[in-house]
Amino acid sequence: MSVTETTPPVTPQSAEGPQRSSFRNILRVAEIDSRLLGMLGALAIIWIVFHILSGGTFLTARNLWNLSVQTAVVAIMATGMVMVIVSRNIDLSVGSMLGMLGMTMAVVQTEVLPKWLGLGHWAIFPLTLIFGLVLGALVGGLQGVAVAYVRVPSFIVTLGGYLVWRGAAWALSRGRTIAPMDRTFQLLGGGSRGAIGETWTWIVAAVLCLGIIFLMWNARRQRIKFGFRLRPKWAEIGIGVISCAAVLGTVFVLNRYYLPENLAKRYAIEHGIAYPPGGLQIPLGLANPVLIVLGVAMVMTFVATRRKFGRYVFAIGGNPEAAELGGINTRRTLVKTFVLMGILVAIAAAVSIGRLNAATSGLGTLSELYVIAAAVIGGTSLLGGIGTIPGAVLGALVTQSLQSGMVLMGIESAYQQIVIGIVLVIAVAIDSVFRKRATT
Amino acid sequence: MSLRKTVLVLAVFAMIAAACGGGTAETTTTAGQATTTVTSGQLIVGVSWNNYNEERWAKWDEPAIKAALDAAGAKYISTDAGSSADKQLNDVDNLISQGANALIILAQDGTAILPAVQSAIDQGIPVIAYDRLIEDPDALYITFDNVGVGKLMAQVIYGLVPTGVYAVIKGNQADANADFLREGFTQVIGDAVTSGDITICCETYTDNWDPAKAQTEMEQFLTQENNKIDAVLSENDGMATGVVAALEAQGLAGQIPVSGQDGDQTALNRIALGTQSVSVWKDARELGKAAGEAAVQLAQGKALKDVSGVVQFASPGGNDLTSILLTPIAITKDNLNVVVDAGWIDQATLCQGVASGTVDVCP
Repeated sequence: MSVTETTPPVTPQSAEGPQRSSFRNILRVAEIDSRLLGMLGALAIIWIVFHILSGGTFLTARNLWNLSVQTAVVAIMATGMVMVIVSRNIDLSVGSMLGMLGMTMAVVQTEVLPKWLGLGHWAIFPLTLIFGLVLGALVGGLQGVAVAYVRVPSFIVTLGGYLVWRGAAWALSRGRTIAPMDRTFQLLGGGSRGAIGETWTWIVAAVLCLGIIFLMWNARRQRIKFGFRLRPKWAEIGIGVISCAAVLGTVFVLNRYYLPENLAKRYAIEHGIAYPPGGLQIPLGLANPVLIVLGVAMVMTFVATRRKFGRYVFAIGGNPEAAELGGINTRRTLVKTFVLMGILVAIAAAVSIGRLNAATSGLGTLSELYVIAAAVIGGTSLLGGIGTIPGAVLGALVTQSLQSGMVLMGIESAYQQIVIGIVLVIAVAIDSVFRKRATT
Repeated sequence: MSLRKTVLVLAVFAMIAAACGGGTAETTTTAGQATTTVTSGQLIVGVSWNNYNEERWAKWDEPAIKAALDAAGAKYISTDAGSSADKQLNDVDNLISQGANALIILAQDGTAILPAVQSAIDQGIPVIAYDRLIEDPDALYITFDNVGVGKLMAQVIYGLVPTGVYAVIKGNQADANADFLREGFTQVIGDAVTSGDITICCETYTDNWDPAKAQTEMEQFLTQENNKIDAVLSENDGMATGVVAALEAQGLAGQIPVSGQDGDQTALNRIALGTQSVSVWKDARELGKAAGEAAVQLAQGKALKDVSGVVQFASPGGNDLTSILLTPIAITKDNLNVVVDAGWIDQATLCQGVASGTVDVCP
C-alpha cells in the first residue's frame, strides 16, 4: 500500500476540521515535535494539579529546586537507556550496577585511597571518579560483549548482571553502610554547598541561549547551502524566543531559592556580615547534579544525532539486517552502547552517593524500572529505532514529579506505585494511538 | 570457532560442578541421617536464614548461635533462602531430612512459612521464630521487644523536645515491625499529641526502608513545613542517614533531634558528631545466644512453657505466643562507651571527624 495514493489532498482535510489541522500545520511547518509538546503539556497539568492539591507548595522555587536535584540520577541513566532501547536491547542491570559502582567508589574514597594519601587529600575526588568511570565502562563493555559477540539476548545478560552486581555490592561492604564521603565528592550530589550560585547560573543560562541561537542559525545556513526547504522566518524567531524565554524563566525561578536560614546565618558570621532582620537572601543557583544532567543530555544528544555512532544505533534499531548489510559493524556499535550506559551509570552512582553522603548495599534498588519508565514515557519505542534524549530527561522529570508530589500530599507508597504504574501504561497507550493515527 | 569451544568447555564444567554439588549434598544428607540414627546422643539444630546477604547475620547472629550450640555439644546446620519465601519452605524440609532435632527460622514471610512450621511441629520438631514473627502458637518467638525499641527511641526524643512539631519516617509497610515501632512511639508521645503539645506534621511509610527514599521524603516534609520541624522519629539508622542528609542541606543537622535503631556504625558516628540523638542497639549476640540455648532445651524435650525466660506475647494476629523478649539499649552520646566496650565498633570509626572534648569516648 503506497502512502502517496491513500493520503487525501490537503484541501478536503482542512475543510473537515480547519482549526485542528491548521494547528497541526503550524507544528508541521515549524517542525515542532508534537510528542515533546504533548509531554510538556502533560507536565504542566501534573504540576498545576499538584500545586492545587498540595495547598500551594508544589510550584515554589524551593520545591522545584528539590525536584531538579531529585530527578538527576534517573535522568542521567535514562539518556543512556534511550540508546540501549533504540538498538532493540534492554538493560535491566542499571540499578544493581549503580549500587555496585556507588559502593566501590565509596570504599575507594573512604578506605583505599586515604591509606595512601591521607584523609581529605585533594586527589581523592578525581581518582575515585576516574576509577568509577573506568569500572563502569568495563562492566558495561563486558555485558555488551556478551550481547553482541556471544549473542546472548540482552534481557538475559542484564538479568544476570542485575543479580551479579547487586551481590557484588553486598560482598564489597558485607552489608555495611559506608559514610561519610569525601568533602569534595559530596559536592557532586548538590546540597547547600554543591550549587554554582546566582551569577554562574545566569552565565550558564546565557550560554545556553546563545547556543540555541547559534545552532538554529547554523542549521539554517546549512539548509541554504544545500538548497533544502527552510522553516518560515516567523517559526525560527518564535522557537528561538520561546526556548530562550524558557531557559531564562527556569533559571529565574531556580534562583529564587535562597540559602536556608541557618546556613545564611552561618555564612554571615563567617564573612563578618551583620545578619539583617529580613534574612539574608543568597540564591543557591543551579545544583551540581542538574548541571551534570544538562551536560550529559547535551553530549548525548550530540552523540545520538550528529555522530556516526548515534546514526548507526538508530539504523540498527530501525532494521538490524539492513544496517549490517549496509556495512555497519553492528556488533562493535552495540558494545559501545553498553559501554556508554556503564559510564552513565557510574556518573549517576557518583551523584547518588554524593547526595546521600553514604553508600548502602541497597543503593539503586528498583531504579532500573524508573529509568526504563522514564525512557519509555519520553517516547522511546521498545521496538527499537525511535527515541530522543530530551524526551527521556522529560520522562524522568514526569515520574519524579509524580513521586515528589505524592509525598507532599502524604499519599502512601503503595498508592504511589499504583499511580506511576498506571501513568506508564497510559503514556505508552496514548503514544501508540497517536502514532497509528499519524501513519494512516 | 574457538569461542564456541570455550562455551562448550564452560558448559561441561558447569555440568560437572552440578553433578559434584548434587553428590556432596547427598553425602551430607546421608551422613546427617546416619548421625541421628546411630549416635542419637548429639543434637542437631537447623537454622533457616531468609537472606544471609545482610551483614548482621554472618557477623553477629550466626557465631552467637554456634557458640551456644557448641557449649551444649549440639551440631549446627543451616540453609539460606536468598529472600525467597518458596525456597524457605523447601529449606525447612531439607533441614528436617538432614536430621535436625530443633529448628530456628528467620522467616522471609511469617505467613507463607506456616505450613512448613506446622509440619515440623507435627513431626515433633520444635520451632523457634527468630527475630521475625511467625503466627503459630506452637512456635517459640524470640526477638527484641520491638514496641520497646520504639518506646526507647521516642523517650529520648521526647526528653529533648517535649513540645513541638514531629515528623515520623516509618519503615516498610509490609513489615509488622514498622507498626510495632510506631506503637511504641504512640505509647510515649500519644498523650502529648492528644493534648496538642506535639503536632505530627508528616508521617509516611518508606519502601524497603530505603535511605535514599527517606532523604526525598524528608526534603519534601521540610519544604511542606517550611523547615518548621522540631524532631524526627525515624524507625531505623539507615533511614536516619537519609534524614540527616536532608537536614544537612538545610543547615539543620545537629539542631533537630533524629532517632534510629540497629547501632549502624555510621549512625553511632553521627551520635558522636551530634547529628543523631539516639540509636537503639539490639545486641544480636544476645539474640543468637538466647535462640541457641532455647533450641537445645527444646531439642532435649522441654515444653515451650518450661524454657527459661519465656513470657506470653499477644500477637497482632490475635495469638497468644510463647516468647522470649530481650531488652534493647538506647545508645546516646552519654553511653557510647557501651558499644565500644562490647567490641561492636572500634573507637577510630566511632570518633571519625569528631572534635576532641565533645564526647567522653573520643579523646
